[in-house]
Amino acid sequence: MPRGLGITSLQILNAIRDGHAYGLDIVASTGLPSGTVYPTLGRLKRSGLVRASWEDQRRAEREGRPRRRYYDVTASGASALAEGAARVADLAAALAVRPEEA
Amino acid sequence: MASRLSRWIVRAASFLVPGGSRREWLDEWLGELDALDRLRTEAASPGRLPSLASFSLGAVPHAIWTMTEGWTMDSLYQDVKFGTRALIKLPGFTLVAALTLALGIGANASIFSLVNGLLFRSPAGIVAPDRLVQIARSYDQAPRWDNWSWPAMETIRREARTLSGVAGYQDQAFVLGSGVDAERIIGQVATGNYFELLGVRPQVGRLLRPDDDIQPGAHPVAVLSHSLWLRNFGGDPGVVGTTISLGSQPYEVVGVAPPGFTGVETVSTPPAVWVPTMQLPAMYGELPFDRWGWSWINVVGRMGEGATIEQTEASMDVVTARLREGDPVNEDIRVLVAQGIGLDPEGRQEARQVSAILMVIVGVVLVLTCTNVANLFLARAGGRRTEVGVRMALGAGRARLARQLVTESVLMGLLAAALAVPVVLGAGRFLPLVFPYTLAVPVGPDGTVFLFLTLVGVVAGLLFGLAPAWAGTRHAVAGALREGTSTGARSRNRLGNVLVVAQLALSLGLVTGAGLLGRSVMNARTAQPGFAPRGLVAGFVDLAGTGRYDQPAAMAAFERLHRAAEAIPGARTATLANQVPIAGGHTRATVRPAGRDDVDYEAELVVVGPAYFETMGIPVVQGRALGGFHDEPERVVVVNQALARMFWPGESAVGKELAAEPTNWRVVGVAGDVQMRSLRDEGRPAVYYPLSQRYSPYMAVTVRVEAGGSILASSLRETVASVDPGLPVASVIDLHEALSASLGETRTIGYLVGAFAVLALVLAAVGLYGLVSYGASQRVREMGIRMALGAEPASLVRLFLTRGIVIAVLGVGMGLAVSFGLGQALEGMLYGVGATDPGTVAVAVTVLLATAALAAWIPARRASRVDAAVSLRE
Repeated sequence: MPRGLGITSLQILNAIRDGHAYGLDIVASTGLPSGTVYPTLGRLKRSGLVRASWEDQRRAEREGRPRRRYYDVTASGASALAEGAARVADLAAALAVRPEEA
Repeated sequence: MASRLSRWIVRAASFLVPGGSRREWLDEWLGELDALDRLRTEAASPGRLPSLASFSLGAVPHAIWTMTEGWTMDSLYQDVKFGTRALIKLPGFTLVAALTLALGIGANASIFSLVNGLLFRSPAGIVAPDRLVQIARSYDQAPRWDNWSWPAMETIRREARTLSGVAGYQDQAFVLGSGVDAERIIGQVATGNYFELLGVRPQVGRLLRPDDDIQPGAHPVAVLSHSLWLRNFGGDPGVVGTTISLGSQPYEVVGVAPPGFTGVETVSTPPAVWVPTMQLPAMYGELPFDRWGWSWINVVGRMGEGATIEQTEASMDVVTARLREGDPVNEDIRVLVAQGIGLDPEGRQEARQVSAILMVIVGVVLVLTCTNVANLFLARAGGRRTEVGVRMALGAGRARLARQLVTESVLMGLLAAALAVPVVLGAGRFLPLVFPYTLAVPVGPDGTVFLFLTLVGVVAGLLFGLAPAWAGTRHAVAGALREGTSTGARSRNRLGNVLVVAQLALSLGLVTGAGLLGRSVMNARTAQPGFAPRGLVAGFVDLAGTGRYDQPAAMAAFERLHRAAEAIPGARTATLANQVPIAGGHTRATVRPAGRDDVDYEAELVVVGPAYFETMGIPVVQGRALGGFHDEPERVVVVNQALARMFWPGESAVGKELAAEPTNWRVVGVAGDVQMRSLRDEGRPAVYYPLSQRYSPYMAVTVRVEAGGSILASSLRETVASVDPGLPVASVIDLHEALSASLGETRTIGYLVGAFAVLALVLAAVGLYGLVSYGASQRVREMGIRMALGAEPASLVRLFLTRGIVIAVLGVGMGLAVSFGLGQALEGMLYGVGATDPGTVAVAVTVLLATAALAAWIPARRASRVDAAVSLRE
């Protein structure tokens, strides 16, 4: 069974699901360094959690900018995100309980 | 600019990406960069957007990730195993290559170790040094970075809202011990909260406490530095509670500072002892604690919890306002702060500059060694072409093979890094000795340095491994299986030519740089600094430091000292002075023409004994010189020409009144200008006061030796000891030596560049030698035929020599550009020689061409001696 996704991967998956669809947009919205975001995208793509597709050349030309590579969350990506979110919520709850115990 | 740089980073990184996906990879990155560039210019507040540079740097890890994505641990392990085996198979080759590379890597890591200590390492023993701030005095009209008066420090302590504490310290010379064992040490007076503020923990006993520092003279307690404790007290913890003598006063030792703690400054003499500021010896018979106009104490503060440097800077406006209200001398004062300790902003700037130059130079040396090793690998790749060809024919991918060759060279790089460790350790000891500053922090290698060393090893491996890997796998299938044909050899030769041309170019740059620096140091030795340095010897004594002299006793002692110095065998004349040009003791004071307040100037303050101008060889151009101990019953001074010109332009200064402390002085003479502090000064305004009218307890005994003679440092020390055996001489300085030493950075960098230039030249010569002899070995058969047909050996020598010379000339052509570039970078360090001095360049070119000709001639001659019969049979 594959290990659950790390916080960074979840953050990035979440950003993509929220419509931040290309690399720079993800960097800007998460505040993560680009040297983290792109390799993570590569990993997510390899394990089939995201899909990458090149934007239509004509559209880019119309807007007068280079073509973008868009990322999209796949079905297994969505379920991995949900699973990860549950795990993080559990962890957060556990962390929140701590001080009262002490 | 920024966008070009970041595009360049991305493009460079793209070479790591496997060919198949490189296009796509590059498209994505360049597109995003473009978008970011636009967004940053359009957005009102770029806010969360990363800078172009930092964004593009992310391409590097991404490229590495993409490159290694397909690698499995198995194949990597295979590569390492195979690479190791390949290296072991040719131990001689491996050793030569690794040693060459170790020189380049070692040079880099050694210089980095110095830079690391100077710029990045905080002084030891201090908690959270980045929460500390240096606080300095400046003026709106005359910006500077200076220390404070006591009342000003108190004001800062009271008013600086964002600081949790403010402490002060200042260097103070002491005479430790008494009698023949007396020695002069540099210690510090420090406020009672100094150690607490820095967070320093004692090694033994306790450190200074606030209640040690309340009443002047009430708490004679001392904290020893760890090294003084080891040196003078054998590291005995029992020293706590004992009494030591500092300036003839008894002090109780209360504790020892931790090892490595040397205060907050990186470039300074490490203090040997700390005493409370309230123990400050009376200066000129007075204490400075209520004097606004008397600045002497350096101030550091610690930022309170949560406070930022911006808030601290802002809060200094209030402090500035309070200070201006505090006293009229603070009229346009301004408080400056700088985060962190170690170096003040100007020193940091200077250290950065020197560091950058040094790093560039050793970087060049590394590139040189890499090209040499690349050449070695290329030569060997020739021998391995069959192997590579067979493997490719059997279906190995080119990328896979290249990767294996690169793995091998990275292994070689790591081996070289290991071999460089002793170089770095040795340099850690040697470099501080030639470094122009006294360093309080150790600059030896630490973890960071070894990490750097490893990194450089890997990068070097990639650097020299890529070219041979590329060339080695290019023609492999077609060419290699037909062993003996020349296509592959020619491509190797072409790449080899390029490498050797680059080496020669870089060598020329370094040789020129070394020449320029060398000439600067030589110019310094023959400089005309306004006095006659040859045959002058000076040694400073500090009567106040002994604590045994009041003013009349000191004057009597100085008179005896002067007589004894004159009587030294071989001495022509002798004098005393509170500051010696170039050598030290420098001090200034504000003066102005009496009765005028439109002009004033902080002129050099020189207090002089008898026969000063005669001894120093400074011409008195108008009026008279100053007389001896009993010859000057009135307040008279000699000024220099620069001051006369500034205050009384077009008039004679003689007879004018000069306003200075404590009252007016009559000018009786005008002396020539002297470069007082450094050879790069122009002669600044200076005022010479007779010792009999202006007392100074700190004086240099200066002796002029008979022409052609010399005086030993020990005889000057003995002379001082004959007057007072408990009076240490700080250091004895030969002023002629001091002149060239004064161009400290120039000399240090000159040594280093010189050493590297020789190294570079040797490497380039070896490269050229290898190239020519390889070319010759490829054509042995042809030689044989030519000789059989009756060619003269001399014509064959010419054939190869010409080839070598053509390469050398190409190298020189490119090297001229390198020389000019390096010359510009070094410009600030040159003295009396231009950055593009044609003479120096010509000499460098000659040296290079001569070396190149020799390196080409040896193999050429050998090639011409082949036995025609033997070579044809092969």
